[in-house]
Amino acid sequence: MSSSSNNASGFGLTVGLSLAVFARHYLKSPLQAGAILLGIILAVTLLIGVRATNENAVRSYSEATELLSQRAQLLLTPATGKKSIDEAVYFALRRAGVTQALAVLNGTVTDKQGQRWDIQASDLVAALSIQSEKAAGSSKAHASNQNTEQSVSLLSAEIPLAKLLAGAPYVLTSQSFADDAASTGKMTLNGMTLNVIALDDSIGLGNAILMDISLGQQLLNRQGQLSYIALFGQADGLTQQVNDTFAQQTSQHFDFAEQDQGEGLTSLTRSFHLNLTAMSLLAFVVGLFIAYNGVRYSLLKRQKLLVQLQQQGVPQRALLSALLIELFSLVLVGSFAGFILGLQLSHWLQPMIALTLEQLYGARLMPGLWQWSWLYQAIGLTFFAASLACYPLFNTLAKQPLARSASRYEQQSQAKKQHKKLFIIALFLLTGSALLFPLTDNFQYSLGLLGVVTIAIPLLLPLVLQIGISLVERFTRNGLWRYAVAESKELIAPLSLAMMAMLLALTANISMNTLVGSFEITLKHWLDDRLYADLYIRPPSDKVLQTQALLAELPKVTAIYGQWMHSSRYQKAPVSLMTRDAHSLRNSNQVKAQTDTHWQTFFNGDSLMISEPMAIKYRLNVGDSISLPEFEQAGLTALPISAIFYDYGNPLGQVIVSQKNWRQLQLPIQPTSIAASYAENISELEAILQQRVPLSAAQMYNQTKIKQRALEIFKRTFSITLVLNSLTLLVAAIGLFSACLMLTQARQAPLARLYALGVSRNQLRGLVSGQMLLIVLFTCLLALPTGALLGYLLINKVTLQAFGWSIAMVWDWQAYFRVLVIAIIASAIAVILPLLWQTRKPLISSLQQEAL
Amino acid sequence: MKLKSRYLSKVKLTLISRSIVLSIVPSIIRSLAVLSLSLLLTACFNESADNGDSFHASSGMGQLLDGNTQGYSPVLPGKQLSFPADHQAHDDFRQEWWYLTANLTTQNGEQLGLQWTQFRIALAPPSPTQTQFTSDWQTEQLYMSHTAMTSKQQHLAAEKWTRGNAHFAGTQVSPLRIQQDDWKWQSHNEQLFPATLSANATEFSYQLQLDSQAPFQLQGDNGYSRKNATGTVASYYYSQPFIKVSGTVERDGETLKVSGNAWLDREWSSQFLSKTQQGWDWFALRLDDGSALMLFQLRENGEKQQAFYSGRRMYPDGCGQQINSEQITMIATAWQQTESGRYPVAWNIAIPSQSIELSTQALNANASMPLSIPYWEGPVSISGSHSGLGYMELTGY
Repeated sequence: MSSSSNNASGFGLTVGLSLAVFARHYLKSPLQAGAILLGIILAVTLLIGVRATNENAVRSYSEATELLSQRAQLLLTPATGKKSIDEAVYFALRRAGVTQALAVLNGTVTDKQGQRWDIQASDLVAALSIQSEKAAGSSKAHASNQNTEQSVSLLSAEIPLAKLLAGAPYVLTSQSFADDAASTGKMTLNGMTLNVIALDDSIGLGNAILMDISLGQQLLNRQGQLSYIALFGQADGLTQQVNDTFAQQTSQHFDFAEQDQGEGLTSLTRSFHLNLTAMSLLAFVVGLFIAYNGVRYSLLKRQKLLVQLQQQGVPQRALLSALLIELFSLVLVGSFAGFILGLQLSHWLQPMIALTLEQLYGARLMPGLWQWSWLYQAIGLTFFAASLACYPLFNTLAKQPLARSASRYEQQSQAKKQHKKLFIIALFLLTGSALLFPLTDNFQYSLGLLGVVTIAIPLLLPLVLQIGISLVERFTRNGLWRYAVAESKELIAPLSLAMMAMLLALTANISMNTLVGSFEITLKHWLDDRLYADLYIRPPSDKVLQTQALLAELPKVTAIYGQWMHSSRYQKAPVSLMTRDAHSLRNSNQVKAQTDTHWQTFFNGDSLMISEPMAIKYRLNVGDSISLPEFEQAGLTALPISAIFYDYGNPLGQVIVSQKNWRQLQLPIQPTSIAASYAENISELEAILQQRVPLSAAQMYNQTKIKQRALEIFKRTFSITLVLNSLTLLVAAIGLFSACLMLTQARQAPLARLYALGVSRNQLRGLVSGQMLLIVLFTCLLALPTGALLGYLLINKVTLQAFGWSIAMVWDWQAYFRVLVIAIIASAIAVILPLLWQTRKPLISSLQQEAL
Repeated sequence: MKLKSRYLSKVKLTLISRSIVLSIVPSIIRSLAVLSLSLLLTACFNESADNGDSFHASSGMGQLLDGNTQGYSPVLPGKQLSFPADHQAHDDFRQEWWYLTANLTTQNGEQLGLQWTQFRIALAPPSPTQTQFTSDWQTEQLYMSHTAMTSKQQHLAAEKWTRGNAHFAGTQVSPLRIQQDDWKWQSHNEQLFPATLSANATEFSYQLQLDSQAPFQLQGDNGYSRKNATGTVASYYYSQPFIKVSGTVERDGETLKVSGNAWLDREWSSQFLSKTQQGWDWFALRLDDGSALMLFQLRENGEKQQAFYSGRRMYPDGCGQQINSEQITMIATAWQQTESGRYPVAWNIAIPSQSIELSTQALNANASMPLSIPYWEGPVSISGSHSGLGYMELTGY
C-alpha cells in the first residue's frame, strides 16, 4: 500500500521534473513552441470561424421570427393563383378572436439610383404586443435568459408610434443598415422620402426595411392587400379557429402554410454550409500538419535529452506522460487563442455570408452568438488529432534504446521506407475512392470521398520528391551542385510535413480556382444565350398593358417578348412555374437533355420542361411525369418532362409550360415581364418608355446591365469561398515558413562547415535557395495533376450534386502560376531570412551548433 | 431572371457580443402606474395635492400621458354631459376609459370577481392630416384593454393592444358598441344598457348581460371632476354603480352560470396628472342598505405629506353625497407579498359622518395583475356597520 503510494508520488515527481526540463528547453528555443502553437492556433481559428458562422446561420433560420415579433406557427398565404390576401380576412380574424395574428405585406421598391430594396410592412401594434407577451412569458419561465435578447416595446421612446400609425413616412431599420444605406437618416424609395429610425442591431431587423402597414400599402400602391397573415400559438388549434371563422370556406381566401422550424431554409442552404465546413476542415488539417511538424522537430531536437533523462532513471511511462501533458498544454493554449481569433474571423466572414444567403436564399441572419462548447470541442478535436498523430512518435522516442546512436544512413533508409509506406496508403485510398465515386449521387458522400482524396494527395508527396530529386541527381555534374541535390534528398524527411501542408493548400486552391473560373465562364455563356432581347422591362401590374401597347406601336421595336411567372410548390418546396412566348421558349433555354419530339409535344401542351437543379434535386429525368397543385386545381393530369434546361441563376426549381398549358391552368394572362429588341440605340427606347408610360429607369434592364449585375452577384457569392481558400494557402505558407526557418537553423553547422571548406557565401546562398526551390517546384508540379483532379471532382461531383449546376471545366493556367508564385515567394522568404541572420553570426557559433 | 431582381445592400458586421440589456420594463411600469393613478382619480378632489416632485415618467406611456397637451381639447367646468353621445369615444381628448368591475356568484355559489377595462390613448392631437387619411390603417388612436377574473383560488388576467380603427377597436353609435377585437360591450340600442359584454382570453372567457335602471351618477361638479384644488387638472367623469349582471363564464373548459352586480366608470380628459402621489388605494363598495360607496386614498411621495382622501355615497335614485378628506380614516391591517409586490390587502375604514365603520377582506389576496403594469385589483367583502361586496384597486407599491 505504502509502496504503491510512494510509487505514485515518485511518478508524479518525475513527470513534474521532466516537464520542468521540457519547459526550460522551450524557453531556450521558443521557436519550436511557437511553431507548434502557430499550427494549432491557425487550425482552430479557421475551424471556429466557420463553425460560428455556420451555426449562427442555422440558428437564424430556425429562430426566424416575424420582424419585431415572435415566431409564427401558421401562415395564411394567398390562395393558389393569387398575389395577395384581402385585408378583410385579417379584420374578420381579429373580430372572431384570432388576435394572435399579424398582417404582413412584402414588396420591392426602388430608390433614385434604380436600386431595388425589399421592404416589409406589418401591423406594428400587433407585432409589438405579441412580442411583449412572449417577453413576459419567457421572463417568468427563465428570467436569466432574458439578458441575452433585447426587445423593443410598443411604448419604447425609440419607436415613434404616433408617426408610424398615422402612416407618416417613417421606417425602422437596424443601426448597421441605417449606417450603411441611409447615413443621412433618409431614404427615397418609390419617389417617397422616408425617415429612417435606427434600432439596435440586437433587435434583429437585419437588413430589413420595416414599416407600418399603413405606410407600406401606400408605398407599394397595394391598398387593401396583404402578403400573408402570421398566426401565433398552436397550429392545430389555430387551423380549427380559422376554419370556424370562415365556415370552412378558407380556400377561396387563402392557403394554410405551417411554419417549419427552419428546416426548409436549412435544407436549401445545406450544401452551401457543408462546403464551408469542408473548407474549414481542410484548413484544420493544414494547421495540424504544421503543428505536427513542430512537434516532430522539437522531439528531434530533444532526442538526446530524452535519452539522458532515461539514463537518469526517469521511467518510460513518466516520460510519455510528460510528453502528453506538454502536448495537451500546448493544445489548450493554442485552442484558446484560436477560439478568440476564430470568433473574430467569423465577424469578418458573416457579412459575406449574409450577402450570399440573402441573395441566393432570401434568408436573414441574426446577430451572432457564440458558445463555450465550441472551445471545448475544438480542444477535444485538436488534442485527439494531435495525440493520434504524435503518440507513435512519442512512443518510439520514449522506448528508444538507452545506448543508441542511429547512423545517418539508418535514419535515411528508415525514412525512405516510411515514404514508400505512405505512398502505398495514398494509392490505396485513391483507388478506393476512384471505385466508389461512380456509385454515389449524393453530394455529402461525394464530399466525404473528396475528403479521402484530399488526405491521400499529400501522402504521395514524400516519395514523389524522393524519386524526383533522385532523377535530378543523375543529371547533375559532380561537385558542389551534386552535393546540393544529394543533400536535398536528406531534407525531404524534415521538410516533407510542411511540404505536404503546402501541397494540400495548393491543390485546394487550384481546384477552387478552377471551379470558380469554370463557373464564371459557364455563367457568361448561359447569360449570353438566355438574354437575347435588348431590353427587359418589369412594369408594375397596372402598366403592363400600356407598355405592351406602346411597344407594339413603335416602328423601331423589332420584337416583343413576354414572360409569365407564378410561384408554386413541388413536394412542398417552392418552385417557379413559368412560360414565355414561343420564340423565347425556343431560343432562351440551353437544353441539357430532351426527347426527340420535344418541341412538338411541348407546344402541343403535352409536355413540360424543368430546370437542371430541379431535375437533380428530385432525381427527375426526361420522360418522368410531374404535377403541381395548379395542375390539380385546373383538372390537368401530370405532364411528362420532355426537356431539361440549364439554370444557374435560381436556387428554386423552375417548371416551364407552353402558353397553351398556361391558359389551361387559368393563371394570370398579364405577363410578369416584357422584353423587347430595338433597331437603334437601346437608351432611346428606355427614354421613350420613361416618358410615355411612364416607367422608372429602375423598372428596365438592358442586357449589359443585367449581365453586369449577374456577374457581380456571382463574384460576391463566391467571395467567401475564395477568402477561406486564400486563408488556407496563407496558413500553409506560414507553415512552410516556420519549417524552413527551423530547418535552416538546424543546418547552421553543415553550412558553416561548407563555408569553412571554402564555399563562398553567395554560393552557399545559392545552394540553400536552390535546394528549397527544387523541393517547392516538385511540390507545385505534383499540385498540378492533383489540383486538376480535385477540381474535376468538385465540378462534376460535388457542385453538380449539391447545386444542380453542370459546369464545363476550364483549366486556368494563370491561376495556377499565381499560386505557384505565392508558394515560391513564401519559401524564398523562409530560406533567405534565416540565412541572412546566420551569415551575421560568427562562424564558430554556427560550427558549434548541433548537427541535424 | 432571379439574379437581376436580387440586389444587395451592403451589410455591416454585427459584433458577436452579448447584447446589452436595456431594460425598458421599469419605465413602462412606472409610466403605466401613472395611467392607473389617473384612473383612480374617479372621485372629485377637494384639496390640492401638487406639492413636491413631479411624478412624470420619462418615456413610454409617461410620454403618452404627460406629454404636451397642446392641441387637445381642454376639460372645462360647466359643460353639460349628454347621453348617449358621451358614451362614445372622445378622440379630441388624450385619454379615456370604460371601466367595469363586477361581483358575481356562480350557480354553485362560488364568488367571482370580474374586471373589464378599455382604454383609449390618443397618440397625436386632432389635426388636418387626420382628415386626409386614405387608409383604414392610418390612425392616431391606440387602444388597450385589460380583463381579469378572480376567484378564491385563482386570479387570471389578460391584456391586449390594438390600433384604433373601425375594424379593430373603438366605439360605434347605433347600436352602441365599445370594442377591441373580440372583447366588446354591445348594446341593444344607442344607450349603454341593456348590453352584452363579452371577452375571450386564453384562460377564460365570459358573456354577460348588463342592465341598469338607475340614473348615471355625475361625479364632482356635475361631471366636471377636479383633480386638484385649483382645478388646473380635471376630467369629465360619470359612473353607474348599480348594474345587474347575469350570464356565463368559461373557465378551465367549464361553463358556469353567473349573476351579480357591476359598477361602470367612464372618464376622459387631456390631462389627469399634476401630482406628487406615490399611488392610491381605491374602493367601490355596495352596502347592504342599497347605497354604494366610492372611496379612495392618494398616498403622497414623502412621509411628511398627509394622504388625501375622498369619497361619495350614492343611491339608486341618482342622489348622492360627497365625502371630504377630513371625514375619512383608512388603516391597512394586513399585507400580502405577491408576484408583483407587497400590497395591503385588508383595511379598516371609518367615516363617522356617514355612520360607516367597515373592515374589508380580499376574496383572493393574490389578485395582482401581471400585465404591463403591476397593480392589485380584485373583489372584496366588507363587514362592520354594513356588509356587502365591492372592488379594490391598489397601486404604487
